[in-house]
Amino acid sequence: MIDIDLRTSELNFIGKVLCVFTHQVNNQLAILKESVGLIGDLIEMGKVSRKDLEGIMSLIESIRNQISKTAYFCNSLNSFGHGMVETSASFAVNKIIDDLVCLLDKLAAQKRITFKKEFKEGIPLIHGNPLKLQFLVFYFIEKNLTRLEKNSSIIIKTSRSEDTINIDVIPKGIFVQVEDGAGGDTAYQFLANNLGASISVDTPEGGITIRLPLPSSAA
Amino acid sequence: MDTNVLIVDDEVEFASALAERLLLRKYRAKTAYNAEDAISLIKSVPPDVVLLDLRMPGLGGFEVLRTIKEFDPSIEVILLTGHPKEEGIDEGIPTGLFDYIMKPVEIAELTSKIDSAYEKRNRNKDTRG
Repeated sequence: MIDIDLRTSELNFIGKVLCVFTHQVNNQLAILKESVGLIGDLIEMGKVSRKDLEGIMSLIESIRNQISKTAYFCNSLNSFGHGMVETSASFAVNKIIDDLVCLLDKLAAQKRITFKKEFKEGIPLIHGNPLKLQFLVFYFIEKNLTRLEKNSSIIIKTSRSEDTINIDVIPKGIFVQVEDGAGGDTAYQFLANNLGASISVDTPEGGITIRLPLPSSAA
Repeated sequence: MDTNVLIVDDEVEFASALAERLLLRKYRAKTAYNAEDAISLIKSVPPDVVLLDLRMPGLGGFEVLRTIKEFDPSIEVILLTGHPKEEGIDEGIPTGLFDYIMKPVEIAELTSKIDSAYEKRNRNKDTRG
């Protein structure tokens, strides 16, 4: 039963990521279209004075930035997609968490919540299912997005201890009262067990740590 | 062209480029990058037509729409949307909205909708006397 619930939640998670992604790319395309449209208007209307040339240069700069942002965003979805195809692979924890945070950034921004990434360098690659780990981290991020008031933040931190790789999800700010779904954490505890991970609640505000075993080659 | 248009969108580059394009077409276009600024601008200098993005940080777009209509029902609101299904408007236009337009925007389609909205506002103003 837990397995079926998790499967449904996993599809729900993938659906949300796809909605945020398409929404964001569409926004970026809208910016590109207006910027290019404005350049076209200025040329067509014969309004290209020296001052307008400066404006055009700044529009071109804005187009370049949007293309870079869109490419970064697409790369994150691409890696995310690979995680769904290669269900057992060696992967860098920082990279998959970074992809996830990038894909969820707009969702948080709409609630005026910011993500703060504190990633430790030099964490060894681990072997397993990257999508399942992203799904587990997503569960705690989404839970905090629901619990936090606007102008709050969520710190997502990675670190390494002697025998584990740790991922912390720490909410900071003002909390709203929400009913916890019955048995939600139990299902995710089950998922953590499948990943060979453990979860502990570390702060009074509900900050959690996911501990993954360090690969034997790196221990 | 005397139409006062307010563009409300948190994507600053989108709103400012669109405002420039409308200015070049002789509309009086202004921008607001969040719901709170939009409401205070609407109350100080009421526009004829508001182009409103529903998905902004903070106050929801439908709350902004309600506030605009309470303040002055004759101000026409056109929704800017990337995905009508997400906004729940794929099966019809909600009460109070003049129309919606998909992002990325076709400028000719947008100006045509703005002109129709402006005509409707003037008709409503005349009727109210």
